[in-house]
Amino acid sequence: MLKRLFAWISVLLFAVFSLYPIVYVISVSLRGDNAFQTQSLEIIGPNATYKNFVSLFTETDFLIWMKNSLIISGVTTLAGVALASCSAYALSRYRFRGRNMMLFSLLTTQMFPATMLMLPFFIILSQLHLIDSFWGLFIIYSSTALPFCIWQMKAYYDTIPRELEEAALLDGCSRWMIFTKIILPISSPALVITALFSFMASWSEYVIAAVVLQDPQLYTLPLGLRSFQASLATQWGLYAAGALIVSIPVLILFISISRYLVSGMTMGSVKG
Amino acid sequence: MRYYLFLLITFCSMAAQAEKIRVHVWHQMIYGHRQVLAEVLKDFEKQNPDIIVQSTYRETEELRSGYQSAAMGGSGPELVYGPSDQIGPFATMGIIRPLDEVLGQDYFTQFDPLAAPTYNGKHFAIGDSVGNHLMLIYNKAILPVPPRNSDELIEMGRRLTVDRNKDGRVDQWGLVFNYTEPFFFAPFIPAFGDDFIKNDVQPNLNTSALANTFQFILDLRDKYKIIPKECDYETANALFKDGKAAMLINGDWSWGDYKEAKVDFGITRIPMISGTGKWPASLVGTKGYSLNVNMKSPEHEAAAIKLLRYLTSTAVQLQFAEKVGTLPSNLEARNTDVVKNNPLLKISADIMEVGHPMPIVPEVRAIWDSLRIQYQKVLAGSLTPQAGAQGAQVLAEKQISEMNEVLQPDAGAIVIKVFFGLVILLVLWTGRKSLVAFIKGFNGPNRFAYYMMLPAFIGIFAVIVYPFFYNIAISFSNFSLRTFQDWSLVGFTHYVNALSDPKFYSLFLKTIIWTVSNVFFHVTLGVFLAVVIDSVMPFKGFWRALLIIPWAVPQYITALTWRAMFNQEYGPINIFLQNFLQLSPVQWLSQPTTAFIACIITNVWLGFPFMMIVALGGLQSIPGSLYEAARLDGATSWQRFRHITWPLLLPVMVPAALLGSIWTFNNLNVIWLVSNAGEPGDQTHILVSYVYKAAFNLYRYGYAAAVSVLIFLILVIWGLGMLKSQYKKETK
Repeated sequence: MLKRLFAWISVLLFAVFSLYPIVYVISVSLRGDNAFQTQSLEIIGPNATYKNFVSLFTETDFLIWMKNSLIISGVTTLAGVALASCSAYALSRYRFRGRNMMLFSLLTTQMFPATMLMLPFFIILSQLHLIDSFWGLFIIYSSTALPFCIWQMKAYYDTIPRELEEAALLDGCSRWMIFTKIILPISSPALVITALFSFMASWSEYVIAAVVLQDPQLYTLPLGLRSFQASLATQWGLYAAGALIVSIPVLILFISISRYLVSGMTMGSVKG
Repeated sequence: MRYYLFLLITFCSMAAQAEKIRVHVWHQMIYGHRQVLAEVLKDFEKQNPDIIVQSTYRETEELRSGYQSAAMGGSGPELVYGPSDQIGPFATMGIIRPLDEVLGQDYFTQFDPLAAPTYNGKHFAIGDSVGNHLMLIYNKAILPVPPRNSDELIEMGRRLTVDRNKDGRVDQWGLVFNYTEPFFFAPFIPAFGDDFIKNDVQPNLNTSALANTFQFILDLRDKYKIIPKECDYETANALFKDGKAAMLINGDWSWGDYKEAKVDFGITRIPMISGTGKWPASLVGTKGYSLNVNMKSPEHEAAAIKLLRYLTSTAVQLQFAEKVGTLPSNLEARNTDVVKNNPLLKISADIMEVGHPMPIVPEVRAIWDSLRIQYQKVLAGSLTPQAGAQGAQVLAEKQISEMNEVLQPDAGAIVIKVFFGLVILLVLWTGRKSLVAFIKGFNGPNRFAYYMMLPAFIGIFAVIVYPFFYNIAISFSNFSLRTFQDWSLVGFTHYVNALSDPKFYSLFLKTIIWTVSNVFFHVTLGVFLAVVIDSVMPFKGFWRALLIIPWAVPQYITALTWRAMFNQEYGPINIFLQNFLQLSPVQWLSQPTTAFIACIITNVWLGFPFMMIVALGGLQSIPGSLYEAARLDGATSWQRFRHITWPLLLPVMVPAALLGSIWTFNNLNVIWLVSNAGEPGDQTHILVSYVYKAAFNLYRYGYAAAVSVLIFLILVIWGLGMLKSQYKKETK
């Protein structure tokens, strides 16, 4: 009984720990001008107002940023899932020269410090005239999340018994059909996670977007939010309201697929 | 017929449309100024129907780094507008153009000399206003007459710093300002006897003037207690606007904000220092337009110059003066009634009289940075004022020489070129069979696999592998401020420098502490919560969903939220500590240790859900029959965890922890955003954030690239070791 109580208390405590910053953002977004400074712990203060949300949609380009972010994240997610699922399948099912080398180098790419790639990115992108276009971002975002996604997908494919495919081959299916008709449908947990990672990578990336996108009409949400933090005078209320709205799609996504997360994220080592 | 006519007209108008020239302007004007800019640009477009102007707002630092990288690639806006201190670096890099060539010599005589600064004898920018200087702003409702000297300042400050409800918290401050930032502190230095920069380029920091200034601020905070213990720009601004501060030190750009907040304020000079009888000298600068060296066509250039002339013209300057109260740089505009009859501008001109011009040489960046580092250490109590002043001088000299260093190729350069050549030959020679096999593979039995992998690997190659080698090349080069346009391979100097610098090892140690403590908490919390949720709690799905929330929030939002939560005065963490636990408030962000702990707490919050999900997945794969058998044998729950759960969970957790530690080791966002780029005094850096700063704030690209490669090597060696020992264990 005591153990049960202890468990409840600790889980509740952590729930508070993980929720509070969100609650704090909500609370700031509901305050009026400059009420970031308050010494009360009330979540909804006496002067709570929706004003920030209203002005977010009416006075700023928030909807344009939202549209841009959705386009960019949508395309990168599709590209990321397509690329990762195909190449991971090859790595999982075929034995060929250089396979181990490839798997290992995928892991190594995770060890590059981001700062190491940033400068070359800048130079290459501007030489290719990919500044101020979404293409540069599509390419970068869908590729940078790839190594992790490929590992993830490969680990999942490894758990699918080969007998399934052999039977289909005997029935005269082509390899491509086997892949699309048999393998992909049963890999949905891993596909969902791959999609999630690709989506997250582009939805919240800031540093590269800041260099690539220079026309405010092309800004993504992180860039737009950042512009509320103008030099020396942050519009905290607007920022908080925006931050909340930016987080909501991801939150919903995470919560609705948390079931898949558990089954899709065992890193493959138990089985692999 | 009508139809054809219509077509013709459409065609012509389309052609006209196509001929329009688009001119880009990047600026960092604050909101009120942006509105005026939009108006004047609309007028300009009306007068010049063949030109479209696109103006883009960028935050000051971002404008600088964004412009640099755009110009590096041969693009960028035609005009860039910013504070005068960016002229030095831009001109040195060769990315802005001397204006003398295009505007003619007599053009500059119509401006206040402050607005037409020269660098190496040439004009690189034209300011549209003069000012940007600090002053004392006081709330007339609280303080009708401002102090004239520091004794009065302290006396009034003490009288006005009050705790009305006697709860141990101050409700109204005598003085507030962003005092941890050197720019806000610099005006005091000359008032104590000496300037902080000599002959326009040399740092002059090891002076009793600087030490006394440090002491003065410390006294304001600790002895007289008239300024808050932690006070950044936001806090100061909000306190003043809410009428919770009697006096504030701020610049002319902030007036509009206070007018809008309906504060009845007055402005005056920062009070004279009583001990020396000298006035603090604010730095007076200009914000102005510069011309990009990269122009798409001569037409663009002509349009850009036309726009530049327009934006610095008397009429436009007067419009700004009228609407947002800037002091025009154009002498003719200064003599109009709009300017003469503006009471604020009148006092402001008075304040400028004792001001010093803002130095524009690139070296100033290194001086500011050293001053900031040492000053914050003094404020945190880890250095005495004297030692701080002495250290600032040493550091500034070191940073300046590093920044200005142009490395010459040495024997190492030849070694590298030969070595690279040999490696390529060797790879081609040994790999020729594999290469042939690889190409044949596209027709072989495994061709399906080849085609499946090809797109992904092209992407990875283009985005990760190629930049990686590019970075290695930079790490052997002399790419820096003075070799921005043409750098060359020089040798191993950067590696030698990095590895012989004790700082590298202390940062490495800090990075290890950072990584180990984060991963430890991530894994233990993750496993603990997973086990508890899996075995005890009802509604598993609900708790699981609740606890993964931190993972779902974008990192940059999280980091800034936590930064606000750690605020000493207003952060809920301190309020909670005070109100519920009756503890004294912690100065989270101004002490190196607590700031580092704050970063760790933030990162623990971010990372535990990932480990929890992995652990939950691992738990699912443990057969329940094992636990039943253990229960029958009478094992306690701890024994069950120790002998069943943990060993079976380990194979899942080890790779996750491996990946987690790589990510943590390279986590730039949290440190950079929570500690505001390594504050206080650059003491919260880990290796990656240090590299970021070296590259993007101090222009040491080659050095930063070399340290990046070292970080990568450390991780590879460590990762290989881990994998190997893991492999051994499994095969035993």
